[in-house]
Amino acid sequence: MTREKETTLYLGPQHPGITGNMMIKLKVSGDTVVSAETHLGYLHRAFEKLIERRNWLQSFTILCRFCVPEPDPIELSYALAVEKLEGRAVPERADYIRTIVAELARIQSFLLWYGGQSGSGGLYTLGQWSVGDRNYILDLFEDLTGARIYHMFMWPGGVRRDLPEGWVDKAYRTMDYLEKRLDDYNKLLFDNAIFQKRAQGVGIIPKDKALEWGVVGPPLRGTGIKHDVRIDEPYAAYDKIDFEVPTYEGGDVWARALVRRDEIKQSINIIRQALDNMPGGSYYNRIPNPMKWTVPAGNAWAKTESVRGEIGFYLVSDGSNKPRRAHLRGAAYAHGISVLEKILPGENIADVSFILNSLGVCPPEMER
Amino acid sequence: MSILNLKGILTPLTALKQMGKEPHTINFPDEQKNISKIYRGFHHNDLDLCIGCGNCETICMNDAIDMISLAEIAGEPGDSGLRPRIDYGRCCYCALCVDVCPSGSLNMTSEFMKVTPDPYDFLMTPGKDNPEAVDKLSFTADMDTSLNLFDRVPMRELDPEERVKSFAEVFLGYNEEEARIEANRCISCGLCTENCPVHMHIPEYINAIANADDEAAIKIIYDNNDLPEMCGKVCTRRCEDVCALQVRGEAVAIRWLKGYATTRAENAEMIAEIVKPEVREPNQYKVGIIGAGPAGLTAGYYLALKGYDITIYEAQKDPGGMIMYGIPKYRLPYDSIQKQVDYMKKMGVKIHFNTKVGKDISFNEIYDNSDAVFMGIGLQDAWSLGIQDEDAEGVWSAVEFLGKANAGETPDIGKRVVVVGGGDVSIDCSRVSKRFGADVFQSYRRRIQDMPADPEEIEGAEQEHIHIMPQTIPTRVIKDEKGHVKGMEYLKAEMVSEGGGRPRPVAIEGSETIIECDAIIAAIGQKANYELLPKEIADKLEMVKDKIKVNEDRLTSIPKLFAGGDAVKFGNSDAISAIADGYAATKAIDKMLMGK
Amino acid sequence: MDLIHNLKEVFEIDAKIKNDFQIEVEAKKELVSSILLYLKNQHGFIHLDHMSCVDWIEDEVFELVYIVWNPNTKKTVLLHTKIDRNKPEMENIDTIWDQANTYEREFREMYGIEFPGLVAEREFILEGWTEMPPMRRDFDTKKYAEETYATRPGRENAEDVREKIIKRTGEEIPDFAKKYSRD
Repeated sequence: MTREKETTLYLGPQHPGITGNMMIKLKVSGDTVVSAETHLGYLHRAFEKLIERRNWLQSFTILCRFCVPEPDPIELSYALAVEKLEGRAVPERADYIRTIVAELARIQSFLLWYGGQSGSGGLYTLGQWSVGDRNYILDLFEDLTGARIYHMFMWPGGVRRDLPEGWVDKAYRTMDYLEKRLDDYNKLLFDNAIFQKRAQGVGIIPKDKALEWGVVGPPLRGTGIKHDVRIDEPYAAYDKIDFEVPTYEGGDVWARALVRRDEIKQSINIIRQALDNMPGGSYYNRIPNPMKWTVPAGNAWAKTESVRGEIGFYLVSDGSNKPRRAHLRGAAYAHGISVLEKILPGENIADVSFILNSLGVCPPEMER
Repeated sequence: MSILNLKGILTPLTALKQMGKEPHTINFPDEQKNISKIYRGFHHNDLDLCIGCGNCETICMNDAIDMISLAEIAGEPGDSGLRPRIDYGRCCYCALCVDVCPSGSLNMTSEFMKVTPDPYDFLMTPGKDNPEAVDKLSFTADMDTSLNLFDRVPMRELDPEERVKSFAEVFLGYNEEEARIEANRCISCGLCTENCPVHMHIPEYINAIANADDEAAIKIIYDNNDLPEMCGKVCTRRCEDVCALQVRGEAVAIRWLKGYATTRAENAEMIAEIVKPEVREPNQYKVGIIGAGPAGLTAGYYLALKGYDITIYEAQKDPGGMIMYGIPKYRLPYDSIQKQVDYMKKMGVKIHFNTKVGKDISFNEIYDNSDAVFMGIGLQDAWSLGIQDEDAEGVWSAVEFLGKANAGETPDIGKRVVVVGGGDVSIDCSRVSKRFGADVFQSYRRRIQDMPADPEEIEGAEQEHIHIMPQTIPTRVIKDEKGHVKGMEYLKAEMVSEGGGRPRPVAIEGSETIIECDAIIAAIGQKANYELLPKEIADKLEMVKDKIKVNEDRLTSIPKLFAGGDAVKFGNSDAISAIADGYAATKAIDKMLMGK
Repeated sequence: MDLIHNLKEVFEIDAKIKNDFQIEVEAKKELVSSILLYLKNQHGFIHLDHMSCVDWIEDEVFELVYIVWNPNTKKTVLLHTKIDRNKPEMENIDTIWDQANTYEREFREMYGIEFPGLVAEREFILEGWTEMPPMRRDFDTKKYAEETYATRPGRENAEDVREKIIKRTGEEIPDFAKKYSRD
């Protein structure tokens, strides 16, 4: 066999297969990727710098914009970090509401992922369904927070508004509906020969390297390693809720997809439990006047579990009314650069988008 | 996996069964989406309710909100006259502006669509440009969800049973923690400064307190108020009437916060150390000041800082005028006044006590030897009740009664006292009488809610079991054979509203009632005594009714004679207005003499 | 706790318990890579969770933070170190964890910290950037934005609430009070 010439290909920033404003410089030989390099810089909005100019509450309007598909865990991580710095207590009811919001956020993000994962594999029907169904979750968000995507809802001390009348029933109904739909999804995706063929054995993350490489979330659990922030360092009401953390062996796109499939069921289960056991009382432990609210000097590290993996916030206060430093650790920071660059070589060009989607690469988390 | 995965090919085809189902989508615009009850769409502002505090502008992290003047809104104390305008090219619909709006005028609506051919057409003044949206309010912040802190930190006070036993201060003052929390509530809009006669820098000193910088607060406070500790205890605090938070909640306790900060400086030396005012080189000008009340002291202090040679002539043996002799010690202790005056003396204010102008020194001597004269003589004489037999023994005027009490004497008022009046002075008389062990009845012509006295003082009086008799009109004093009071006859009154004004009390015929008492204290107001003025001056001095006419500079109709305090017709008759008079006169005198 | 004891024993540094899951320790910059290796190889902290940098401009130092996690004990260690802000240089640790390369590359670009031996393109997020590294505290984002971008017309008639009232009352705010005015 003659050695084929290497060609450089640029995937993105404008490409339907890319997961956001980023570019992957691929060196290919024939259809095979020889090396990959992630290039950023297409959307740098200096969020972390801007947060240093905002007071503790104003930051929330920026936080949710770090990652469009899943803003809530970022808000929550930040709120948890502020609460650690301040020692601010959160009422039990707020913890349960936070749990529900965080899980709804996970479900809607999973549904969006269904679209991305199947679409990048050429299966467009499922994407239409799941994004349509996702809107029922957004309806719940709209009723609860007043907005569909950017909620600015989980503030230090609790949540911004109490559950509105009738919301709990609507949430139950939506969960029942979604649960039924999951069967349809399975038939379309997991039972699908095309998906099976394309996902199995592709984009493998080796189990023995995963932790060292900084892999988190479903990609980590897809290598058979059971790690989930909700269990390991429980926050909100997760320690009072009974749920399973699914894992699959293999480390390929297929295993990651199975993990996500099972996690939606767990999320529905968690939401139901939280709705069943919703405690009464206050939803909010009032913060001082937001313009004069100072947070004691110190640093805090808080993390939550998002669909893409753990979202951490390293937050530093110098005792003033603004954060000294707010540094987000998004799952994609490792997934989208160093991990991606390691696993792409040897893959087929057509699978690059497919793998990107399975890792949940979200560029705004990488260049903040 | 087999080469031909039949199941994997056929199962997805079950999707076809979805074809006959209802779609998720709606047929816009024929159908409308159900919008959340708290949707965060375009804003609406109730322009009448809005007070233009600008808190929305301050919290907006996108700089999307501007405060602008609207032709139809003039502005008045408690309303800046400005209204928010929003740049929807910047707004991110976070609704923080709604959550921090103290009046609750700014809300969001369920409207979210705007189509315009003009790319610069992003500016909207909510409420003005979309008045119809008032019917579509969605995201609002009520008392519970608002981020404003509407509840004041309560002031600790002595137990009513305990406090009537002595003249100990009733209000205990904020401690550090309470002051920080209370100061934190302030939104720093500055609306309050307009209603303060002196225009103290209120948001600045409250911010300093909130920032745990009490010394800066003290320095800022002393910038234009030389008796702030007094104001921190007994000011009429009209600033609080226009506080942005009082629209829906309780005003920031501006008075108590000032009291907190100023009492941190425990003595005159500490005040001097902290305030360290800028003192000008002495100049050759002399200013004579008549009366060491709040007006005279203020003029004296600020002129002394500007390098003038200041001498104050005071008839009494102690400084302070009405705040020394008129305000009871349980509200304003002697030491507090003395401390502030000591500080002023350190700054170069000379005071001649026991020097009655017109008797110990002539007015002309002061006038002729000074480059300017400031007169803050106050209201010395009481209005009489104008009823039969009020010359009986045991009928007191408030000035006389409080003067004696504050001088440390025990006025002989017996066991049952009737106080006539409804202002702060009358409440003072009642509560002082109570402290002398008397059973006190307070007669007032109108209803309790009409009383001009500070509601906190009325409440304090009620706690101390002072019997307020509203809608009673005294008609005659009843005296015994020795000419001593033994009771008072009064008529009951009903309130009659005529032509929109406030209801007027009208005596009910035949309702004569007699209340037995050992003393009657008339606290229905005071008037000035101009005996100190020589005739040629008195004749030339222009008056408004019985008060001295002054212009903005507090200059009278006599050259280089300035006046202030209760005796002039300018602003209200309270200590803070007197301070404002003294402060304004200082500037005018400085301008007149130094040309700056 | 063993770890705290061992760190004291081996490196003579005092670690303290931050909360149920976290241990915090500060060390001289020369010790950082040895401590990280020790934590990774001897104590099972195989997962580099995060690296961060804080600009303490007033102390003329950058603070670097290494956050490592142990998947067995579920414990996290936060390792802080301070480096001279005037000559910011730090040891490259991408041989210990490969993904540290990305962090170091970002800190080099955003804070101007050099990591000798770091192999990575210099441009990472910024392109054609000639100003000072932008995450430094003395880089004024607002000023830069105002100088670089035009503002849209139509908002010139904005007024300030406090100024408006001052205009009506004639209040004169002394300079020493102004720092406490609303901004």
